[in-house]
Amino acid sequence: MDYFDRFAIPHPSPAIYASMVAIGLTVIAILVGLTYFKKWGYLWREWLTTVDHKRIGIMYLIAALLMLFRGGVDALMMRAQTAVPDNKLLDAQHYNEVFTTHGVVMIIFMAMPFIYALMNFVVPLQIGARDVAFPRLNALSFWLFFMGAMLFNISFVIGGSPDAGWTSYFPLAGNDFSQSVGTNYYLMSIQIAGIGTLISGINFIATIFKMRAPGMKLMKMPMFTWTALITNAIVVFAFPVLTVTLLLGTMDRLFGTHIFSMTNGGMDMLWANLFWVWGHPEVYILILPAFGIYSEIISTFSQRNLYGYKSMVASIVIISFFSFLVWTHHFFTMGQGPLTNSIFSITTMAIAIPTGIKIFNWLLTMRKGKIKFTVPMLYSVGFIPIFTIGGVTGVMLGMASADYQYHNTMFLVAHFHYTIIPGVVFAMLAGLTYWWPKMFGFMLNERIGKWAFWFIAIGFNVTFFPMFFTGLDGQARRMYTYSEASGFGLLNMLSFVGAVGLAIGFAIIVYNVYYSTRHSSRNIGSDPWNARTLEWATQTPVQSYNFARTPQVDSIEAFWDHKKKGKPLFKGKIEKIHMPNNSGVPFIMSCIFFVWGFSFVFSMWIPAIITTIAIFACMAHRSFEKDDGHYISVKEIEATEKDSEVLANESR
Amino acid sequence: MSELFPRKQVMGFVFSLVLTAAALTVYFMDVSFAVGMTILLATAFIQAGVQLVGFMHAGESEDKVAIYANIYYGIAIALVTIFGTLLILVWDM
Amino acid sequence: MKVDNSLPLEYGTEQNKLNILGFWIFLGAEVMLFATLFATYFTLENRTGNGPAGAEIFELTPVLIETILLLTSSFTIGLGVHAMRLGRKNAMITFFSITLLLGLAFLGVEIYEFTHYASIGAGLQVSAFTGILLTTLGTHGAHVTLGLFWGLFIIMQVKKRGLTPETANKSFIFSLYWHFLDVVWIFIFSFIYLKGMM
Repeated sequence: MDYFDRFAIPHPSPAIYASMVAIGLTVIAILVGLTYFKKWGYLWREWLTTVDHKRIGIMYLIAALLMLFRGGVDALMMRAQTAVPDNKLLDAQHYNEVFTTHGVVMIIFMAMPFIYALMNFVVPLQIGARDVAFPRLNALSFWLFFMGAMLFNISFVIGGSPDAGWTSYFPLAGNDFSQSVGTNYYLMSIQIAGIGTLISGINFIATIFKMRAPGMKLMKMPMFTWTALITNAIVVFAFPVLTVTLLLGTMDRLFGTHIFSMTNGGMDMLWANLFWVWGHPEVYILILPAFGIYSEIISTFSQRNLYGYKSMVASIVIISFFSFLVWTHHFFTMGQGPLTNSIFSITTMAIAIPTGIKIFNWLLTMRKGKIKFTVPMLYSVGFIPIFTIGGVTGVMLGMASADYQYHNTMFLVAHFHYTIIPGVVFAMLAGLTYWWPKMFGFMLNERIGKWAFWFIAIGFNVTFFPMFFTGLDGQARRMYTYSEASGFGLLNMLSFVGAVGLAIGFAIIVYNVYYSTRHSSRNIGSDPWNARTLEWATQTPVQSYNFARTPQVDSIEAFWDHKKKGKPLFKGKIEKIHMPNNSGVPFIMSCIFFVWGFSFVFSMWIPAIITTIAIFACMAHRSFEKDDGHYISVKEIEATEKDSEVLANESR
Repeated sequence: MSELFPRKQVMGFVFSLVLTAAALTVYFMDVSFAVGMTILLATAFIQAGVQLVGFMHAGESEDKVAIYANIYYGIAIALVTIFGTLLILVWDM
Repeated sequence: MKVDNSLPLEYGTEQNKLNILGFWIFLGAEVMLFATLFATYFTLENRTGNGPAGAEIFELTPVLIETILLLTSSFTIGLGVHAMRLGRKNAMITFFSITLLLGLAFLGVEIYEFTHYASIGAGLQVSAFTGILLTTLGTHGAHVTLGLFWGLFIIMQVKKRGLTPETANKSFIFSLYWHFLDVVWIFIFSFIYLKGMM
């Protein structure tokens, strides 16, 4: 039985045993349910093997929402633990695991799939394409991400969670100080998900460069597509850095090299450096798509075209390059000289300028607009002041000398939540509500949605604003408790109350999905928001081939011009459409990747070698396979289009 | 027959051998570190350029703008990363 | 599938053009991958702990053999693509095969080099320097190994299916990969070996 000892939890608690039981029961329930309702074939044919960008987008969305709640529970546990001084709810080790998994889950397994959910669903529709450039690689991207996420999530019931922070700095993350397999999970699961993200990056750049509708020049692309293009460019150049960093970390932990160690010439600071070479661009990978979503929403609900399109494009292009020039500001206190800190201080301040330009563009878009305060618009308008607080405190942190006061205090925690939550979470909730009717064919209830917004917006500020003060008073981040004499108790209790408010807000969103599924009208036409871009020119729900005839574009807002000026959007006859075939290989290959990662986590070399060979066998299979896709005949298209046109006419 | 002869490839090959020989001077001759690095930087980047344009046909398709932008962007960020890292961890530590 | 005959076969269809552009973007990512390894190498170059330094272990002869092998293989695959564009299937297969043989020889010399380092006390776990040196070389070597299998598969497909837009496209993309590995080697040769021995 010694062999199986490695899978035991090094630091168990009743909560973890309860989770084990819960996970086991859920898995059994899912398996029994699928069998009882005879849904295995449906699941395999329609979802597990799909290469349709819309379905992949929806799967990303479901995964992201699941992870949002997983990370949210971690957050609530942290706030509950620190709500009162000398709390005994969690011990130090457990608290370390919770803040580590909270960070990793939220950034890598919630925010990333959320932006790829919306990109997958929306970008091909916005540019008038049938699918992405490499549909099968797209499926592989999703499944690699998903298996990475699952691998990470089983850590707390098999072998122990990572506990060295989401940044996993060495030497703390090295074998000497992190003896459980937790950090191995961190290295392998992010590696697998990261490969998926890199593939997505390549896929979307090729798609946006080569598959735009006729007449859609680069400077006529919708803003969300522009941000998607630039985001993926950053992905392609930033994620290889993460790949190497994780590889070197794996070499140190599993193969005994001395790259990040404290002995034999190793340099632990190198990890921090490489991590942030990826980490800072990653911040912009998260925020740029959000900027694109806000641009679409603010323009739609102000019923005006976006102010300063060209300056908007220029600023995101500048950000894409600058995002690689500021990484040192994450470790001003590490010990490098004043010259370095000064250089990176200046670049940090400089990158605030293009972001500021955007804020003004949004404000000026709303000026003289006929603003409709729908739920997506509420999030967008709410974002502007909250994000500005995040930005201003960011400039405070960016001053290297002042940073010595703020570094690793709750002030920093408040700052980055003030950027990431309005910047990413608000944007994703706004985008979700905005594109929901296109995805599922009905609207989310506006009244319930507004309740959720106010709970989230107020709950967020009540949670994080007090942290600016406790941070300035010297409360360090990642401390599992504090004494009563420190006086942090009241403000931390306030944070906890706010966190509960946030939780209620998210619960209301869940209720809204349930309520709207049951009660919302299915008869909403194809353009319920009176929007401006091409995705609203398709039928709802969108056909597998997206557009029966490729749209012809000659302005930034072709669909709007079509509606207002009667410019024809679709010309010519319907022709047969070439579509890619479904494939089970991406799913199977990703399952093998899961076992591969698991084998490395526990240094089980025989399964590791077998799965490595199996992964290459999948690639070889793909190389030899002949797959020319299939055609949808004109007759079939005309039949489906007729039905939808009838429906569309009825709704008018 | 003239179009059958792979002139571009042969020229490229000869050129890359010459550049390799030039790079070897830093080993066989006694040069200072600065001069040596200058020679190596020059020979390496010219070689890379020969491969890129001559052998890899980077500029032949309709996507050459995207391809060159991609490569230049990659090289720029690669240099920023390498020199930035050296600045932080070696030269200014 | 629409085929445009005014272009070389490997650009013949829309999907072909997408594949080539996509692969170039992938090579952009590979630039960053190796750049990160180089950044790490340069940082740790002089941090040899109790182990040997580069100047003590590098030998010119095997390195020069490796360089010539890889440069030549880059040349022969160029000839292979040239032959492919002239529609000469057999010549193309011959040149691709020579390329792979040269790649195999390169790998043989590299394996010799690795065992040599291990035998003189410069193994993976000795110091930060040896760790990153062997990881960097190993990453390049792993790319070459992958390329050998990939190239073999492509030769088999060309042999069986002839030069179609699909096989020509795969062959051309493989040639991009191979040339790129040569470019990486040039930087390894210049800034790891020659700089180390200077």
